[in-house]
Order: sequence, then C-alpha cells, then structure tokens
Amino acid sequence: MSKIGLVIQREYYERVRKRSFLITTLLTPLLMVALILAVGWMSTSGSSEAKIIEVVDASGLVAGKLESAGTITYRPSTRSLDEIRADHGDTWGALVVGADVLTRPDNVQLYTWSSSTLETEMAISRAISDILETEKLKTYDIENLDQILAAVRTSVQIKAFKEDEESGEVKESSSVLSMVLAYAFGFIMYMFVLLYGVQVMQGVIEEKNSKVLEVVVSSVRPFELMMGKILGIACVAVTQFVIWIAVLAVGGALAVNAFVPADLMAAAQGMSAGGMTPEMTAALGSAADPDAIAALGNLMDVDYLVKMLVVFVVYFVGGYLLYAAMFAAVGSAVDNIQDSQQFQLPVTLPIIFGLIGMISAMNDPNGAMAFWLSIIPFTSPMVMVARIPYGVPGWELALSIVILVATFVVIVWLAGKIYRVGIFMYGKKPSFKELAKWITYR
Amino acid sequence: MSEIIRTESVVKQFGSFRALDEVSVSIPRGSVYGLLGPNGAGKTTLIRIINRITAPDSGRVLFDGRPLAAGDVARIGYLPEERGLYKKMKVGEQVLYFAGLKGLSRHDATNRAREWFTRLGIEGWWNKKVEELSKGMAQKVQFVTTVMHGPELLIFDEPFSGFDPLNAEILKIEMLRLRDEGATIIFSTHNMASVEEVCTHITLINRGRAVVNGTLEEVRAQFGSVEERVVVRQSMSMNEIFIKAVSE
Repeated sequence: MSKIGLVIQREYYERVRKRSFLITTLLTPLLMVALILAVGWMSTSGSSEAKIIEVVDASGLVAGKLESAGTITYRPSTRSLDEIRADHGDTWGALVVGADVLTRPDNVQLYTWSSSTLETEMAISRAISDILETEKLKTYDIENLDQILAAVRTSVQIKAFKEDEESGEVKESSSVLSMVLAYAFGFIMYMFVLLYGVQVMQGVIEEKNSKVLEVVVSSVRPFELMMGKILGIACVAVTQFVIWIAVLAVGGALAVNAFVPADLMAAAQGMSAGGMTPEMTAALGSAADPDAIAALGNLMDVDYLVKMLVVFVVYFVGGYLLYAAMFAAVGSAVDNIQDSQQFQLPVTLPIIFGLIGMISAMNDPNGAMAFWLSIIPFTSPMVMVARIPYGVPGWELALSIVILVATFVVIVWLAGKIYRVGIFMYGKKPSFKELAKWITYR
Repeated sequence: MSEIIRTESVVKQFGSFRALDEVSVSIPRGSVYGLLGPNGAGKTTLIRIINRITAPDSGRVLFDGRPLAAGDVARIGYLPEERGLYKKMKVGEQVLYFAGLKGLSRHDATNRAREWFTRLGIEGWWNKKVEELSKGMAQKVQFVTTVMHGPELLIFDEPFSGFDPLNAEILKIEMLRLRDEGATIIFSTHNMASVEEVCTHITLINRGRAVVNGTLEEVRAQFGSVEERVVVRQSMSMNEIFIKAVSE
C-alpha cells in the first residue's frame, strides 16, 4: 500500500474504532429526532391547562356568543367582578366587557389569578373582535347576512410549480420542504466543516506534542502526512454522514408508512410518478394540504434526493478540504490548543459568516447576495447546498465548483508549506508575519 | 572503503540564521560515525537533511554514490533525540505502521517485529497502548521501529538518554551487533566516553561548520597531545578535544 494510503488508513481506523465515534454516530440522529419531537410537543401542549374564564358582560353582546375553544372555557357570569374576586373557585380569570364595547373596543379587561399568556390574550381578543365585527355588520340591515358571511369566507392555498428552464420539466414543489432541506443542509455542512476541521487541527497538535512527527516524516513527506490526515478524517466524516442518511431514510420511511394517511400517500406517489391531475386534486378535496402532498412527492422522488446528496457531498469534500488544510496549518504552527485560538479565528470566522449568510440568503435564494455568497469559495459550501432545494442554474453550480476546487488547490499548497516548517517549530508562538515567511522557505 | 553518505557543501538557512554552512562530510560504509557538537550547532539539521526531512538550500547529499532520492529513506533508520510514538495506539500496531511506512509488507513486518520483541524481552507488550508504558519501555519500542526494516544506515540521536545502565548496555550490544551485520551507524551524542568506546570516525560541528573531521586516530593526531598536564604523554581525551575545538 502506498504511504499516503497507510496514513489515511491509520487516521481512519484510530477514529472509527473509538467508542465515542459509535456513540455520537448513533446518538446524534436520535437526539435530533428527540429535539424535533420535543419542540413540536412543547408548541402543541404548551397550554394544556384548562382555563375557565367568567365573563362579566355589561353590553350583553359578547358573553352569549363566546364559544369555548381549545383549553379556554367561557362561562357567562351573573356575578359582579368583586363577587368573583371574593370567591373565584376554579375559575382562571374574569373577563370584564364594558357596556360601550361596540364604540370603545378597548374597554375590555382580563383579571387573572395566575400569570396570563400572550397566546390566551390573543385568542380572547380575536374571539371578541369576530363577535363585534358581526354585530357591526348587522347594523347595516343586510338580508341573509349569515349565508353571505359563510359564502365569502375563503382560505387560499397556493400550489407552487417549479419550471426547469433547461429541461422544460414542470414539477410541483413544496416551499416548506425546500426551506427545511435548505436549513438542514446548510447547518449540517457548517457543523461538519467546523467539527472535522478542528479534529484535523487537534490531530496535528497531538502529533506535534507527542514528538512522533519527526519519526513519521523521516518516512513520509510532510505533505503526504498532512493530506493523509485530512483525507482519513474526511472518510470518517463521510462514514458518519452515510450512517445518518441510512438511519434517516429507514426511519423516515417507517414514519411515513405509520403516520401519513393512505389517500395522501397515493396522491404523493401519483405526483412523483407523473404529476398531479386536476381530478386527483379534486378527489382529495380541500382536506389535504397541497404543500404536504408536494413535499411527500418530492421526498419520494429518488432523482431529486440523489441529486441533492451528490451536490452536498461534492461541496462537503471541497469545503472541508479548504478549511481542513487551513486548520492543519494552524495546528502545525502552535504547540497546544490554547495557543491555537488566535489563529483559529481567521479560519472559523468565514465558516460562521457562511452560516449567517446562508440564513439571510434564504430570504431570496436566487438574489444577488445568495448568488455571490455561493460563488465565493469560503462561503459557497454552506450557501450553495442551502440553495440547491430551490433549484440553481447549472452554470452557477459549475462556476462555483470550479472556483472552490481552484481555491482549495491553492490553499492546500500554501498550508502544506506552512505545515512543513511549523511542525518543527517548538517553544514560541509565531506571528502571522512569520507564518507568511514560512511559505517562502525552501 | 566506499561511502554510504557524502554531503557536499551543504547550506541550510532559517531566515537570517545559518544552521549549516558549507558542511561536507563523508561517511564510510560500515563505520560508526560520531556526530558531535554543542547544543544548537546544527547536528539535528544535518541529520534531518540526510533523512530528507528538510532539503538543503544549496549543496547536495549523495547516498551510495548517487544523489539522495525519496526511495532511499526505506534504507535508513532514524531514532530522533525527541522520542515520540502515538500514545493511544497499541504497541504492535504502531510497530507495523512504521514498518509499513518504510515499505515492509505486513507479513514480513509481523515476523520481524515478533523476532525483535523476543530479542529485547518485550513479547508481552504487543497489545499494550503506548501510554501504559514507562518512558524506558517506550524507548525500547521506539528502537524496534528504528531498526526492524533492516536499514543499511542507522542514525541514532542521543540513543542512551533515558535508559538505565542495564538497558543502555543491551542497546549498545544490539547496535554493535547491527554494525557487525554490515550496517553503518551515525551516532550523535554528548557522551564522549561512549564516542571513544564505539566510534571509528567523527565530525565535530560548531556553529554550523564542520570544524573537525576524520578517523579517531586522525583527530587525535591533529590535536596533538597534552604535555603540560601529565607526566606521561598521552592523547587528549575526546572530552578535551571537544572543548578545545569548540572554544577555538
């Protein structure tokens, strides 16, 4: 086996065989799912406590029409506020509506015995507003007002189609899914580049500290050693990523089978097979959210998924090589992790900037900012993978990849120069100026 | 006697500091070649150049009569002064890894490693992690990684430091056995007694220059004898030659 192959092999096995690798690889997807479920659970069950509200209505318009909904139960009251105060029993609060509420809509007070929430207050004010609006409409003496109101009530649902300019293909797309995938890809990219880049740096510092470097470089060229380490760790990252995707694919398929209604599934399958026909949409009625169908359809479209994964891997490899080489140079220049802080900053800053850029670029995935951030090689790995679910013109993708590759070739070459000198420098922390000088050493 | 290594006017500069200044040495095959000099004189830099760890700014290095090439490192074994092994790796795997880097197949490496482990009495350490070993034990493992690919040229930088006298003796016996089997040894040390005991040739480097060169006898003759201090004329000891050459 070639020397660089041996180095890659060592770096790979040393990490993959560690118990901590197995644990983080298996636990991270579980933790992510748990986190999503926890957030979902908290947002739905946040106000699970039943709230009984006594309504003291001086106007006589509101109390009878308030419909209890969710956790809020309205109870029209004959008592005065003071009487309720004296003995509030199981009631959560008292709602006092003024007699002139129709002309003075701010004459409504809510008294509670435990702290109130914005959510509850908004629900109450929405309910009262609806009643008052209807009351006001009645004063215009319109015939069949109730039927008219029911007939005009409309809920618009947009179905989005994405036209591919090159192939002329039209696909129904889900903007919710695009957004979720964009954030997921951008964030995973950020995490991987940072996490594994730092691992490269730590590996270099460790070798330098244990003085094993001198023995190794008497057999292997420093550049081969550096590349071996970078590539070995890249293999670890890809292994982890593949395991995660496999877990997600299996888990996702199980979840879809278990939780998604059959008619929705059929619609989604029909869509990914050949597009939705109007009859199918009609058959489903308005019960199904078209975005959910499109999302499911997109997720079952293997071509779409494979294309995104391939782009992700290409950018991961490019972005990781770019940053890992810089991290290796930083590691070679210092004696311990503490000393590395100063040099780490210029390396981590563009990664963080890429993440922030990705988030703001998502407001307009095809705008000027998104375009430039996905062309500049230091931010393109994060921003481009986030743009992919929205569709990116082929030439932009090609240009961005070419620039990324060209940059990493230059950076790897420069990092190799610094690394070669840095690994034998012990004792004093070099300045940036000295790092630049090392590049010119023979 | 043919030369295994010859350096011709080797210069190495670090910024404004000239670590090696036109150093020419000729190391005959089968010799035990002492590389002496005060700390910071440039010995390690010269050794690194011979190991192809760094390249000279000018001048050249000949290995076996032709310019030193990348493949030659497989024929060299190097024990650096700063010992180092991968702490988390098991001893056996580590030895096989370094042998692999020197071009040995896994099968050959395993056989030779077993042989060396038996010879040094460390058979039981194969599955131990390096961090579990004492410093002296780790040095023995490091010695095995240096010699097990059967190199023609061995470079030992302060090989006895960190060893107790018993283990130092075992190590010296192994070194001399390797010499008897035909290996050439470059031996860098501050211990002048061991130089006089085992070296056939020496080069003394001071401030980047080779100031003294030759066989032990030639060097002794060059520095003459000490008349003022002793009644019976005797050669200067290596220690005295070292101090005199450095202070000149």
